[in-house]
Parts: sequence; structure tokens; C-alpha cells
Amino acid sequence: MVVAPSKSTHPLAEIVDRIESGGALLPESPTNLIEVVGVLKSYGVVLDAYSINLKFIADNQFLVLFPFFKYFNGEVTTKKLLKHWWHDRINYEFSEYCMKAMMWHGGGGLDSYLDSSEFVERAQEAIQAKIKSNFFIGNLSKIFPNFLLEQVRMSCYYSAIGQFWTVMSEMFLELSDRYDNGEINSIQDVVDHVKAGLVNNAALPITYGVKVGDRTYDIIPESAGLKFLMDTAVPYVEAVFFKSFPFMGTISYNAQARQIPQEQERFNYGALYADPLPVGGGGIPPTLLMQDMTHYIPEYLHELYRESLRGENDIRVKICISFQKSMFCVTTAAILGLAPYPIDTQNPKEQAENRAYLESWMDKLMESQLIRFQSSNVQTD
Amino acid sequence: MLSALIWIPILGALIVGLLPGSIADKNVRRVAIVTISIALVVSLYVVTQFDTITTGLQFQEDLPWLEPLGLTYRLGLDGLSLPLIVLNCFLTLIALFSTSVTVHRPRLYYSLVLVINAAVAGAFLAHNLLLFFLFYELELIPLYLLIAIWGGARRGYASTKFLIYTAVSGILILIAFLGLTWLSGATSFEYNPALSQTLPLTSQFILLGAILIGFGIKIPLFPLHTWLPDAHVEASTPISVLLAGVLLKLGTYGLLRFGLQLFPQAWAVLAPYLAIWAVVSVLFGAFTAIAQTDMKKMVAYSSVGHMGFILLAAAAATPLSLLGCVFQMVSHGLISALLFALVGVVYAKTGTRDITILKGLLTPERGLPIVGSLMILGVMASAGIPGMVGFISEFLIFRGSFTVFPVQTLLSMIGTGLTAVYFLLLVNRTFFGRLPDQFANLPDVSWSERVPSLIVAALIVLLGLQPSWLVHWTETTTTAMLSDYSTIATPIEFDPISVLPLE
Repeated sequence: MVVAPSKSTHPLAEIVDRIESGGALLPESPTNLIEVVGVLKSYGVVLDAYSINLKFIADNQFLVLFPFFKYFNGEVTTKKLLKHWWHDRINYEFSEYCMKAMMWHGGGGLDSYLDSSEFVERAQEAIQAKIKSNFFIGNLSKIFPNFLLEQVRMSCYYSAIGQFWTVMSEMFLELSDRYDNGEINSIQDVVDHVKAGLVNNAALPITYGVKVGDRTYDIIPESAGLKFLMDTAVPYVEAVFFKSFPFMGTISYNAQARQIPQEQERFNYGALYADPLPVGGGGIPPTLLMQDMTHYIPEYLHELYRESLRGENDIRVKICISFQKSMFCVTTAAILGLAPYPIDTQNPKEQAENRAYLESWMDKLMESQLIRFQSSNVQTD
Repeated sequence: MLSALIWIPILGALIVGLLPGSIADKNVRRVAIVTISIALVVSLYVVTQFDTITTGLQFQEDLPWLEPLGLTYRLGLDGLSLPLIVLNCFLTLIALFSTSVTVHRPRLYYSLVLVINAAVAGAFLAHNLLLFFLFYELELIPLYLLIAIWGGARRGYASTKFLIYTAVSGILILIAFLGLTWLSGATSFEYNPALSQTLPLTSQFILLGAILIGFGIKIPLFPLHTWLPDAHVEASTPISVLLAGVLLKLGTYGLLRFGLQLFPQAWAVLAPYLAIWAVVSVLFGAFTAIAQTDMKKMVAYSSVGHMGFILLAAAAATPLSLLGCVFQMVSHGLISALLFALVGVVYAKTGTRDITILKGLLTPERGLPIVGSLMILGVMASAGIPGMVGFISEFLIFRGSFTVFPVQTLLSMIGTGLTAVYFLLLVNRTFFGRLPDQFANLPDVSWSERVPSLIVAALIVLLGLQPSWLVHWTETTTTAMLSDYSTIATPIEFDPISVLPLE
């Protein structure tokens, strides 16, 4: 393979070179592979549960303004309620946190569709059907016409993320099965698997219909043209991996000391940037996800964690670090999938364009956790 | 019964010291722990048998020893010694549990700790001046060795300084005892509060002065305190626990027993000056603690401040303030033991006690969250937050002293406020914020390291919520101490003739 004649001069040139020669953001190493595949297996199981619940909320809790039992998937029993209060359960709050991040940051076709008049028309139809027998809500809606509309927008995001995660969950579980069968032997294989998954599902339509009474109202019809890759996957990566929200109580910024970038969109807290150390503390969303994943960690990864200095005591921090590594693999797949030209192109002009494209990604990743993961022993920081 | 409290640890020390080399170090430690546990059980049994209504000595033991010298083996227990006896056994046990299982030369180490326990128990129980002095000195050598052998980098300097200061303290106390006995023409060194009343006031002042300086070194009070921060910094964690928790109490116990009770007339005259001295000590301790960057030094200087409260209360000598004295001894014993034990864990895990370097130790998974939480509880107790033992003792002291020395009491209360300042500095810098990367991989804290602190912390809260369990044992004695004191002290205060010659 012919590499571009000059080496990149970017501060992260090493990573640019690695990707250009077919590698990933995360360096190859046997430990990295175990961590990434192991944690993605667990993540796959958790995502499956999240996506089922998100779709349940979107479909069955439509305009329920006090959704007390939204995490119960329609099965409200005393046993389940006690388990819920005991907190030994899937923390569905995390999936809502991601949904809200995506809704807040917007981007992609879904965001613009939800602002279109077509959406408003379709949503109003469903709203009217839903509230026609509810005097209080009906009047509330007249006073604040945007209130219920915004609730519907949120339901759309519930549904969209649910559909997105169903695909991702299957993809990760399949990856784990292939690893168990000996088909996945390197980080590169993981990236290829994810990339293939994203590309194969790229054109999968994202739709949302809700049943009120006997009639189904299509709020996002297939004709809206929303697709898996560009309208959910890409905005999701942007919203959750990059921007996200600051975690309360974990860090303070001094704006006067220029600790906050001038342009707000360069202020990143997302999964690729988050500090894994506060994980385990109450009130920060990653704790919820890591807690959920502890239940489904495969034995080979558990063994790796047990051998480290603090054993199982800091397992959630360790899972978080592994999770960030795996998300860099997903990001690599997304970067490769969205590259202007195939990464192994021989055309110097295309190579130069790819180089510029990769460097623009590296600019974004300069302050991410990626830099830490370049050394060999990262689990211990 | 009381002898058992002295001789069980001595016997244990002999057994531990003479155990053959083939016996594993782990078992040596077990023998020491079992010994002190037995002593603790005996002391608790004594507590159950103690009559809270009787004002005099209980469980008395009187054996002739060296009659020509006036030395008899006379032991007795009252409400002043009782809590301290239990505290001594309890904190020795905590110190043993906080000792590393792999401590070097375990036989010598554990026997020295047991000897200290015996000597302190002896000093609290002795009712013969010379016998007290013997026990007081007996505790000195093992402690010197414990600092000099198992201490930090400057252990030689710290232990020698400790030895010199405490030896001078011992000499002054001995001079006072000899002077009291000889000048009053007594034939023995029996403890007799009526003895000093036969002496002219000037002699009483001189003797009380020796007592005050002697015990002032031990407590320690400003400006006699300089040995303490050095000793604490160099001593290992369990020894710091013992030193702060139990050994300093010898000083305050001596102040009450041999100052206030033996020289009531002189005490009454000096009381206002003692109260001022207390204020200086309290404020000095607090301000110096604020300036410290070493966690252990900060806790050590907080001791100087908190011991000042005891002097204030003793100077005021009201029923409430004396009760506060005893309560503060127990409360400070527990709180400082907790703080030193926790600082020890932090040091063992991070390798530093510097609060400018440490940060974010409360981080839930990679930090020391339980140690941090206990530390927050400890500093809250020390700062006198209600619900914990520190509040009760400080409230008793301030409430009891205010009627006698309002200004000094108010100034001392500033010291309490300052406790919150320096301990919040400590907690805020050390435990909050983001864990620096250099500490992101701290070793695990095992339960064996947490349990001693957890037990002490539980007791701090328990006695804070239910102080009557402690007050109950002491109240009668402190009130009785004062009934003697007020009959002797009152006429002097208003008698211009006996005060005039002083001026």
C-alpha cells in the first residue's frame, strides 16, 4: 500500500498514520482486545434491555404525563416494584439520559424533521386523539400549545434511540459470538465488524407510529426518509460521545480562566472525554451504565479485572475505561465509514483529502481520553 | 481486682517477650490482643460493680511495700479514674489492631505496648504519690523505645526530645510530691488532700507551680508542647493513637488529681491565670494547626488546643466544668485516636500526609471513601458538631466555665470555631476534588484497617447521643471533689490578708 508521501504533522500524527495504514484509534494489544470485546458483550445485553424499554415508553406511555411505571415494561407486580426500589435492576435512567443528550444537541435529519410542519401536523392529530376526553389536559394544551408537542418530540427520540440501539445491541452480541468462535482476533477485526454493521444497516428506515384507540398514527412515516446511519447513529455519536452534558459535582470550570472554549460546540464532556475516576459516585450517569454492565461482564474479562491491584473494588471504573476503549473502536468505524474515500485508496489526491478529514477528527479528539489509551497499560491509568 | 488491671498486661508482656522464635509473629500479636481483651473485660466488669453513689474510693487495695520510704501499694478507683481505665484498655486494643501484622521485632513491640498499658492503668489507680510517680515514669521508657525503634525518619531526634521533656516533667512532679510530704511533716506518701492546708500559701504556690509545669509538659500546654508534634509525626500510627488517646490524659488526670485536689487553696488563687493560660494554649493550638500542611501535625496541634479546654474547665472548677473535664478527656481520647488511625491509613496507602499534595481521596471506587467518610465524622466530632461526643464535652466545659470566667470561655469558644477552620481545610484539600493521577491507583484498604476506626467512630456517635452513660460514672466524684474544694477555696478568695503578702 502506498502511503501519502509526507507524514502528517498533526500532534496526533501517530494515530493518523495508524488509521491510514489500516489500524484503529485504539492501539492493538491482546488486553485491549479482551477489554473491548468483553465490555461490548455486556453492553450489548444492557443495550438490548434499554432499547426494549425505550420503545415501550415511546409506544405505550405516549403523552402519559406522570409515567410512574415507565420502567416496568407494562408488567407491574409487587415483586418487580420491590426489586425496583431495591435498585438491583437495570438503570433505565441512563438510556433516558442519552435520549435527552441527543434531543438537546440535535443534529441530523431527525432534528430537522421534528421542526417541520409535516411533523407538527401529524403530531397534533395524535395529540388531539389522545386528549379529546381529557378536559384538563385539553385546556392546558390550548394555553401552552407547544407543551404536548414537545412531549411528542421526546417520544420520537425515545423511539429513535430504541431502534438505533436494537441494531447496535445485535451487532455487539454478534461480535461477542464471533469472538467466542475465534473469528475476531484483533482490534482491527472489531472495527471491521462494527463498520460492516453500520454500513449494512445504514439505510434502515427509522419510523415511529403510536396507537391511540383503534387507530395508529404515523408520527414519523417511512416517507420522511429518516435512515439509521445519518439520522440516528451520527447524531448519537456527536451528542453522546462528544458533547453530552457535564457531570454534576465532578469538575468545576473557571470560565474567566478560559477553561471553557470560546465556541460552545467545542466544549466536550461526552463518553470519549469523560473522566472515569468519579464513576461509582451517585448522581453521575456513567455510574448507572457501569453498574448495569457489571452484571453481564464475561468471565474472561472479569478474570482480567480481578487480577488488577484493587480487584473487584473498582470494577466500575475499570469497566468505564474498557467501555471508553470500545467506544473509540466504534468511533473508528464511524470515521472510516464516513471517510470521503476508502482509507486504502491509492490516489494521492484522495489520500490527501482523507488525511485532512482524519486530521479534523484528531483536532476534536485532542482532549479526549484517547491520548491516555495510547500507552500499553491503561487499565491502571 | 484493680491489681489485675496492672498485672494482666505485665504478665502478658512477659509471655509475649519470652515466646520462642518458633512461634509465628501472627500468634505473638494474638497473645497481645488476647491479653488486652482480658484486661478490657476486667475493666468492664469493674464498671458493672462500681457504685455510682459512693463518693470515696472503691475496690481499695492496700499492701505495705517499702514502709521506711513511705511507699505503699495502694490502689483505688473513683469516678475520675474509672472512664480513663476503660479508655486505656480500649484504645490499647485499638492500637494493637491498627498495628501492621508484619511489624518488625513483634515480641519487643507488643511487650512494650503491654507495659505502657499496665503503667498507665497503674498511674490512674495509684493512691500513693510515690506509687503514682513510679507508674508515671514506667510508661516513659517503653514509649521512648516505641518511637525510637519503630518511628519515622527523624525518630532519634523526636524520641530523645520526648524523653528529655517527659523526664523533666517527672522530676518536677517528684519535687512537688517530696516537697508536699516533707514540708507538711507527713510520714508517708499517702494521697491526702488535707495535707497542703497545713502549708503556708507561698509553699503551696511553689509546689503547685511544679505540678502545673510538670503536668503541663505532659498535657501538653503552650509553651511546653514542642515535643508533641515531633513525637506524633515520627511515631507510627498505633503509637500516635496511644500517645494522643491515653498518655496525654495522664497529664490532665494529674492536673485534677494532684493540682486541684491536692492544692485547692493555691489553685483557687491561680485559677484566673490558669484560665488565661488555657486560652493562650487553645488559640495557639488552633492557629498553629491552621498553618500546618502535614495531616499528623495538624491533628497534633489540635490536641494542644483541645487539651487547653481541660485546663480552662479545671480552673473554673464548677461541678459542670469538672464533669466536662472528664468528658473531654474521654472525648479527646476517642476523637484523636480516630483521627490518628485514619491519617495512618491515608499515609500507608498514599505515602504522604501532605495536604498540599493529597486530593480527592473520597473518590468512590479508586480513592479511600470509607476512610474519608470516617475522617469527616472525626473532624465534625472534633469541631463539636452536635450528635457526637465532642459537642457534649465542649458544651459541658463552656457551660460550666462561663459563669466563672466569661471572657476566657468566650475566647476559648473561638478556638472551637477555629477547629472547624483547620479541619475543614484538611478535609477539603485532602478528600474533595478530583483524585490526582498519581493517586489514581491506590491499593485497597482492607477491613482489618477499617474496623478499629469504625469501632471508635461508633463509640463517638454513641456517647454523643447518650452521654449519660459516661456522665453517670463520674458525676458523683466530680461533685464531691468540688464540695471539698469550695469549702477550702472560698474563704481564701475573699480573704485580703492571705492574698496581700503575695503582691
